[in-house]
Amino acid sequence: MKPAPTLSTAFLHPAGQSLPEPLLALRKQRGTALVDMPLPTRKTENWKYSSKYLKLTDDMAISLPAEGKTGSSLAVPGYKVAFLNGVMMPEACEYPDLDGISIKSFGDLSDDEASDLADRLDSTLDNKAVQMARLNSARFEDGLLIRLKPDAVLDQPLFIVHEVTAEASGSAFPRIFVDAGRHSQITLVEEYISSGSAQVMVNTVTEFNVAEGANITSVRLNMEGENVQHIGSTGVLQQRSSRFESHTVGFGGPLRRHDLQVRLEGEGAECKLNGVVVTQGKQHYDNHTTIEHVAAHCNSEETYRNIAADQSHAVFNGRIHIHQDAQKSNADMNNKNLLLSNGAEIDTKPELEIYADDVKCAHGATIGQLDEISLFYLVSRGIGRREANVLLTMAFINELVEQIPIEAVRETVQGRLNHFFEQAFQEA
Amino acid sequence: MLSIKNLHASVEGKEILKGINLEIKAGEVHAIMGPNGSGKSTLSQVLAGNEAFEVTEGEITLNGDNLLELETEERAREGIFLAFQYPVEIPGVSNLQFLRTAVNAMRQHKGQDEMNAAEFMKLAREISKQVDLDPAFLKRGVNEGFSGGEKKRNEIMQALLLQPKLAILDETDSGLDIDALKVVSDGVNALRAEDRAILMVTHYQRLLNHIVPDYVHVLAGGKIIKSGGRELALELEERGYGWLGIKDEETADSSAN
Ligand SMILES: Nc1ncnc2c1ncn2[C@@H]1O[C@H](COP(=O)(O)OP(=O)(O)O)[C@@H](O)[C@H]1O
Ligand SMILES: [Mg+2]
Repeated sequence: MKPAPTLSTAFLHPAGQSLPEPLLALRKQRGTALVDMPLPTRKTENWKYSSKYLKLTDDMAISLPAEGKTGSSLAVPGYKVAFLNGVMMPEACEYPDLDGISIKSFGDLSDDEASDLADRLDSTLDNKAVQMARLNSARFEDGLLIRLKPDAVLDQPLFIVHEVTAEASGSAFPRIFVDAGRHSQITLVEEYISSGSAQVMVNTVTEFNVAEGANITSVRLNMEGENVQHIGSTGVLQQRSSRFESHTVGFGGPLRRHDLQVRLEGEGAECKLNGVVVTQGKQHYDNHTTIEHVAAHCNSEETYRNIAADQSHAVFNGRIHIHQDAQKSNADMNNKNLLLSNGAEIDTKPELEIYADDVKCAHGATIGQLDEISLFYLVSRGIGRREANVLLTMAFINELVEQIPIEAVRETVQGRLNHFFEQAFQEA
Repeated sequence: MLSIKNLHASVEGKEILKGINLEIKAGEVHAIMGPNGSGKSTLSQVLAGNEAFEVTEGEITLNGDNLLELETEERAREGIFLAFQYPVEIPGVSNLQFLRTAVNAMRQHKGQDEMNAAEFMKLAREISKQVDLDPAFLKRGVNEGFSGGEKKRNEIMQALLLQPKLAILDETDSGLDIDALKVVSDGVNALRAEDRAILMVTHYQRLLNHIVPDYVHVLAGGKIIKSGGRELALELEERGYGWLGIKDEETADSSAN
């Protein structure tokens, strides 16, 4: 038998030495732990459907240079932070000094701040389940630390644009760490975009520490090009009575993977996770979510929709784990999938592990095609077939798109969807 | 306007229509009556171009043009409108969006400018009043959660908005209470025009008290077995279908075997 492939040593050399010492030390330590890390294969349960898309060739190991100009597509009201190839670009950032709110690049942290951060990085993630997040911890060159003091409220959304420039092959390792103090509030948008056409990888980690009563809304837009492999992980740790709401919208690529892990650790915590994924051509997209009901009286509500056209491949894996002490948990997970062609593939798997006896847990997953009778009804009114297809496909995700809390983001998403429809439904 | 000659059609390999002949001229109102299962909806769906039904023989022309060569949406743009016996619920598409898209598709076909949201809203509100539907329904999903009567009124509303040349109404009277029947038949009467034909498909003759047809045809076992004036409908009301030698319900099946 062939030995299992391991991560090439070429990946173990981080660039960017300007981080504070405690973070450099942490990075080094994480890198050492990656020696001989087995790469996901078909036999790796949580990469079963996706490992074949993952290409970690040595040319991907190079750090993309942190220079050039960013060109965010979001012309939006709000505060802005721009990262290029994983490094913050101060000249493209726009946010005032805010009372009780600190937004800093990792590079600007004092040694004390950095030491505190180093102790806590990765703490929201189950690293065994998100192998690839460990690579980010060994390679990040910069990052964004957002701290909200108790009761601090960010009055406008914060847009964080992560752009990669793909002039030559290589990787970028964006990182975000959010510390939301008691009863603080923030809405943040992570937008991932790319320019250039070389084969590149983006490997991200975003972490949210949500203290008692804090309220976080997170929007994640995956809008990178056909040349970008994206492997992202998000970890959320929620304390008593906190609320976390996320809206993930993703467009496919050669490899797209997002792991979202939420731990409801304090009683009365609540999360709502929405996701929309569309794929076409030979694109791929894989969402893996885990909700850990650790404490009692927590609510989780998850709604994901996949639309796959042409020969594309979408994957959804939703795990809900209700711990023994998590009595009166309320969990509702729903995944619906739409195949727009016979050549497309969607794999969906709910995984429920319930160890408490007094819980409410509902789940449902369906895979279907556009309804012929609805289509006939629409065209019988003179509506063109293409437009009828678009109406019915939009109907499948409307409810989720409408819930995205920022109009400018909804418009950006609609624009990308329109582009998708143009490709997916040619006029007959 | 519409000419059907020796039309045969089948669904899932089973022949349902077995040689229909029908001529309808502009300005006329025709009623097709017949027991359940006789093929009334099949005829309606074939006219609208539902591909689930296969035309195996015969021809249909609209003002001389071969209808069978046209896709459903092209037939609609040429003026064919079918009010469905069972209007379809489409959650996630609002009625307003649906209706405006349809009206604009027609306008575009005629080379007219599209109506903007405000113009259309005004028109839609007017017509919803005409069919006694609360304008609030415009915001809801297409037919989503509508009562049977509301669905039928929505079909008539669409006919009024789209102003077809030939309106085919498939059991638009079924499931309506007296008041709704009045609203619907007022709507249909408002559609009556010199340059428009109406084909009413119905199981009962009560609608024909409100909308007086010029011709009545009896469809049984996939064929038109009798045609006459409106007095034929009254006769059917009095005597049932039995005197014509057909039984309700089993008719289509027994003749198919
Ligand atoms: N989609 C279909 N698949 C199979 N059989 C059908 C379908 N639609 C109609 N039929 C059959 O065709 C016959 C005529 O039905 P229909 O046209 O609906 O009659 P009517 O409208 O007069 O009640 C019936 O025997 C019915 O079962
Ligand atoms: Mg019928």
